[in-house]
Amino acid sequence: MNIRRTVSLGLLMLIMVISGCAGTTPTEKTKTLTLWYWNRSLDDDLIKAAEQQFPGIRIDAQKIGGDFKSKLKTTLAAGSGGPDIVAFNDWVAELFTSSDRFYDLYELGAQEIEQDFLEWKWRLGVTPGGEMIALPIDTGPTALFYRADLFEEAGLPSDPDEIHEQLATWDQYFEAGQKLQEHFDNKVKMLDNINNIYNQVNAQSDRIYFNPDDTFIGDTADSSMKKAWDLAVKAAEMKLSANASTQSSEWNAAMNNGRIASFVGAVWMKEILMQAAPDTSGKWRVARAPGGDGNNGGSFLAIMKTSKYPQEAFDVIRWIQNPDNQIQSFDKMNLFPSATKALDAPVMSKPEAFFGNQATGEIFSASAMNVKPAYFGGKHGNLNGIVSRELSSVALEGKNPDKAWNDALARVKKELLR
Amino acid sequence: MKNSMLNHPAPPEQKAVPSQPKQRLAPEIWKHRKEYLAISPFFIVFAIFGLFPIAFSMFLSFQKWDGIGEMTFNGLNNYQFMLTDPEFWKAVGNTLLIWVYSTIPMLFFALIIAFLLNAAFVRFRTFFRIGYFLPNVTSLVAVAIVFGTLFSNNYGLLNYVLSLFGIPSVEWLNKTWGIQLAVSVMVIWRWVGYNAIIYLAGLQSIPTVLYEAAKIDGASGIQAFFKITIPNLRPIILFTVITSTIGGMQVFTEPQVLVGNDGGVSGGGLTIVLYLYREAFVHNYFGYGAAVGWGMFLLIALFSILNWRMVQGKPSND
Repeated sequence: MNIRRTVSLGLLMLIMVISGCAGTTPTEKTKTLTLWYWNRSLDDDLIKAAEQQFPGIRIDAQKIGGDFKSKLKTTLAAGSGGPDIVAFNDWVAELFTSSDRFYDLYELGAQEIEQDFLEWKWRLGVTPGGEMIALPIDTGPTALFYRADLFEEAGLPSDPDEIHEQLATWDQYFEAGQKLQEHFDNKVKMLDNINNIYNQVNAQSDRIYFNPDDTFIGDTADSSMKKAWDLAVKAAEMKLSANASTQSSEWNAAMNNGRIASFVGAVWMKEILMQAAPDTSGKWRVARAPGGDGNNGGSFLAIMKTSKYPQEAFDVIRWIQNPDNQIQSFDKMNLFPSATKALDAPVMSKPEAFFGNQATGEIFSASAMNVKPAYFGGKHGNLNGIVSRELSSVALEGKNPDKAWNDALARVKKELLR
Repeated sequence: MKNSMLNHPAPPEQKAVPSQPKQRLAPEIWKHRKEYLAISPFFIVFAIFGLFPIAFSMFLSFQKWDGIGEMTFNGLNNYQFMLTDPEFWKAVGNTLLIWVYSTIPMLFFALIIAFLLNAAFVRFRTFFRIGYFLPNVTSLVAVAIVFGTLFSNNYGLLNYVLSLFGIPSVEWLNKTWGIQLAVSVMVIWRWVGYNAIIYLAGLQSIPTVLYEAAKIDGASGIQAFFKITIPNLRPIILFTVITSTIGGMQVFTEPQVLVGNDGGVSGGGLTIVLYLYREAFVHNYFGYGAAVGWGMFLLIALFSILNWRMVQGKPSND
């Protein structure tokens, strides 16, 4: 009796262990492709449609919540158990040093579709060595979001074309901000925070921190780093910022209460703004950004070397990202196309009620066509974090800007030694 | 003793003592295999999830590893970088400040609450005990979001209350001290009930005869508190101080949810664990993160000993 019980208990445990590890056993015919992405980075219906498009392929789409990059990198650290297809955000360059962990998409047929995509965006997924590790999903062309009613009241131009003409440079934009704040007795601020100025100036540049050979150029005149820093500090000194950090509840409230009159942001800020400030619907407009067109964010799809079905995976992502499907994703969830053909689609000229029936798609298309190709380098995020911290100290604690710049450079140099 | 052992060997005992266990160890284990099997899960799980990570982190702290590429031996470079990194020392300073701001008021309030809960005149005592303990089991992320709303710069409840009294609003989360205050308040709110329950248990273990005797001798309530309650509670206080020190050195979720991975403006909320997390899991310096972990281990050990010395006092006092 005792032995029998022990044996059956042992068997039970064995069954539990085995079933826990094995998961669902694929049948002979279906090939399962595991896909890791985050919420709203891909259209869920499109993933389902891909299964119908490719009979015999099942897509196990897993939304990874929380800090996606950390989870991805810890999975890569473990060396196994990763997905077949994985989404990257604009930190794609951080994975260039590990390009051997991903399939070179050129080997799977990426050349055939290269001309369909925006050149600068395509190049962001290609390593300096020429391997293409990531296929573009959406892009993040930037533009100026502004409150037409507040601009008009303050005697500023409020038509997108006039703004593009008269607020063409950052300095002109700052001067307009001063005028606006005087009119509203400083109850309305021109912009949200100076870190955003810093980021957006860099987003308009093709040379930020690194040359493609990974040498640091931030302290040279070639790069936009010092220019972006100076403009951000200038905005702080002119007291143009509401000091509301992007994507905070402060920011949401300030937008909804009309305390911030404008900000430069990527196209995906549209969705965030609409959710944050429903009460201001109809009052916003979008114009080409002061300082030029730029890109901020936008994601990619890659295929991991551990995948058993790389060709099938490539066919699937190629189909998902074809121009027609990109138009559909844009129409449905505001994923701004990376395919050139999609930028001419009729959906781009669709009027939007939140923006006073302006077709903002036209502005962002024009911006997207005009972005300069930039090289980011693996440590871009780390350096950006260092500079952002020093800028916050300047904006919020009144740290001396020169000291902050020197501290930032010193910390950057230390970081680059690691 | 040693000499006497040598001079008077006891042959029969010696034969019996050293030889028997050696011969019988394996059969003994086999005989009790079921018992050993029953307790083995803990040791197996500990070896996998406790012992191995500790050993591996030691190994890792001498390596350079971004988590994806090859590990390369880095000697003491990680430790050298840590000791010369101003941000590390800032994190240490922040952690100590937050620990001081939180632990001292927290244990003080806990003692008062425990004293009140133990007092005869309080009714619905079970309700209060549960009430005070409840914050401890609340999801920390939810707590951080609520406190973030309280301390919010422009639209927070605290600033609203200040505005009622005509005081200009304070940008709590845009100031180093404000962030540290907010984090400390969260720690206090969460742990005060927990420590109060422990103190309550301690208070209830003090024999009532001591108080009765003091009363007969004419001692006042305050005298009884300082001469009877506090000395008898000393071991309990020591326990709470050491556990709060260990907990205080590991403050992480509160600042992370409240002000983000960088610890907010000027890194005011950058604690040691947040620094470790950022370096290892955001910037992917896994070897360096392991080194910081060992640095933190040494700091916690150091402060636990210091606390023990301070609270325990000199042995001659007892």
